[in-house]
Amino acid sequence: MGTPVAAAAAVAVDGGDLALGGGLLALLRPALDRLEPGGVLAVLSSTRSVLDDLASWCRVERHEYLGTEEIAAGRQRHLIRRGSLGVPRGERERGGTLVAHDGRITASDLIASVPFPATADPATGFAPRGARVEPGGPAYPFTLDRADRVAPPEVAALYDQAIGAQWDASRDIPWQDVKPLPPGLDAAVGQIMTFLAENELSALYVPSRFIARIHPAYVETAMFLATQLNDEARHIDVFLKRARLGGEQSGPGVSSAVTAHSLHSLLVLEDFTEVAFLLSVLGEGTFLDLLRFIERHAPDAATAEIARRARIDETRHVHFGIDHVKHALATHPTLYARLEDAVRRRAATLSGAGSVPAPVIDALTVLAAGGLEPSKISAGHEAVQELMAEMHASRLKRLTHAGFTAAQAEMISSLHTPNFM
Amino acid sequence: MTSGMRITIGAVAYDPKVVTIWEGIRDHFAGAGLLTEFALYSSYERQVEALLAGHVDIAWNTPLAHVRVRRRTDGTSRSLGMRDTDRDVRSKIIVRRDAGITSLGELAGRRLAVGSRDSTQARILPLYFLGQAGIEVGRIQLVPFDTDVGKHGDTGTSELDVVQAVHEGRAEAGAIGDVVWASLQAAGRVQSELVEVIWTSPPFDHCMFDALGWLPRATAEAFERALFSMSWDDPRHRKLLELEGLKEWVAPRESGYESLRAALDEQGAW
Repeated sequence: MGTPVAAAAAVAVDGGDLALGGGLLALLRPALDRLEPGGVLAVLSSTRSVLDDLASWCRVERHEYLGTEEIAAGRQRHLIRRGSLGVPRGERERGGTLVAHDGRITASDLIASVPFPATADPATGFAPRGARVEPGGPAYPFTLDRADRVAPPEVAALYDQAIGAQWDASRDIPWQDVKPLPPGLDAAVGQIMTFLAENELSALYVPSRFIARIHPAYVETAMFLATQLNDEARHIDVFLKRARLGGEQSGPGVSSAVTAHSLHSLLVLEDFTEVAFLLSVLGEGTFLDLLRFIERHAPDAATAEIARRARIDETRHVHFGIDHVKHALATHPTLYARLEDAVRRRAATLSGAGSVPAPVIDALTVLAAGGLEPSKISAGHEAVQELMAEMHASRLKRLTHAGFTAAQAEMISSLHTPNFM
Repeated sequence: MTSGMRITIGAVAYDPKVVTIWEGIRDHFAGAGLLTEFALYSSYERQVEALLAGHVDIAWNTPLAHVRVRRRTDGTSRSLGMRDTDRDVRSKIIVRRDAGITSLGELAGRRLAVGSRDSTQARILPLYFLGQAGIEVGRIQLVPFDTDVGKHGDTGTSELDVVQAVHEGRAEAGAIGDVVWASLQAAGRVQSELVEVIWTSPPFDHCMFDALGWLPRATAEAFERALFSMSWDDPRHRKLLELEGLKEWVAPRESGYESLRAALDEQGAW
């Protein structure tokens, strides 16, 4: 200590009369952090105790204290060589700073600034993309760690849309419009709402199993799924409220074994892309037609509004599912066979499950009929037959859009669960 | 060797974390092909006796325990390794700013808080170095904190007592080691408007892995290989290294213990 040193300092901090334990470290540590290992920092100080404290601190922190010299009466210039431990400098991230456009900053803007990596490093854990990561942390067990399997190109835009489209289940539905309905129709609405709610429960639970597997480098996908879960929670909320509104025959209906088997077969899936395909592309896709049907035949404005709002949300989920599958198929052509296989396996599990659950098909028929009079029921029956045909046609369109051939699409759609979801 | 190919390492349980440390090191050594057991003692005196009696093959010793082993074995013991932080340790004399003490000479007649009587960095060496600097230690009013005697200052409790006593004015000055001092400063636990350092001691060395001369060379080398292969950048090792207060294990050296031997001679504290 006390030896004047010849080393040239790249950077200097002026510590004034701060003691080491009295604030000097807050200037010193960031300045050292900005240097490469081996870089030299000059510390100017007019506090005598810094002479004693700095060398010891350097020893404990594995920096090299090079010495000091008096540069004016009572003012010292200490030199420190940065040690090799600490957080590596790394490359500065691309993109630089964010700029608001028309007062808005979107998730897409952020991704343009800090792009998704092709593969994610288990050691970066919960560190935000672009952060410098100190070595020595644990390896995280995130298994969804490849951009092509977890981060489709439109996820940020869909997230922004979802955030802007949130609505309030207690205020945004004209609940006051619900009046007691003709006998039978109340029970039909209760049955349909029960069916919708249980399917949406599965749509809440199934994706939630995958959020914790997504590497945080692809956090926008986890964030999008969080909006999807919030959507499903809201749908469950409005469906159950609607089921219990109305006359004497209102209230939840039957939960059928066909539905239970079908939803169970989704819950046990372990592959994220299979879930996106079976739940979102095929299941939620089919539900778009169902919700449109309910909206068209709704007995009151509240029921129509519930179906309309739920359909708009579900459209986003289907869009994400198609984007995900399309993106994954483009980079992994063998996935076609795997997804086809997943549909076959599920169909085999559900073989013997029969057709659309009877309470559901009956309730849809009564809803479309608008009452129990035989003359109306006939029209209702016809409307439900048309719905089935529409569902099949829409599935074919979505499958072709996702990249399947017409023959593959035909086979997959015909094997789809009789439960719709 | 005490039991076939399995060696026993002695350590002093100065803190519950010692179990975590040695369980982890035992696993690491097993991965490196060296089977070990550890035996925990509640004092370094007992651990030194256990090493000399052959109950343990290797002991993780404080500087005081290390120089005692060297002396008891007439210098035939084998030193195996130390922490990077064990080299060039220094003691500090801190003072209250309002006490008007600016040099060691002004300590005479004042209250100097010191750590446990078996703490190398907070008692034995500071007092020795003061004498070496020409200060008559007998004229200083010592305020001793004899906590955790037998642990040789490992717990740091007596050093924290020293710092607290100086902050609270129960002593005008205090003697502590630089590791505790730098850590307290970095953690923002020193009121620098009240307390400052006025003196830093010459360097000395701290802990050491000791074995007796009859430890087979192959075993000693296997131990050193496994020890030195622990890496700060490996998360499994890093946790253990952090707990034990080092970033890297380094080769042993004897040159850093001369001042301690001289201090023990002078203080009759062998």
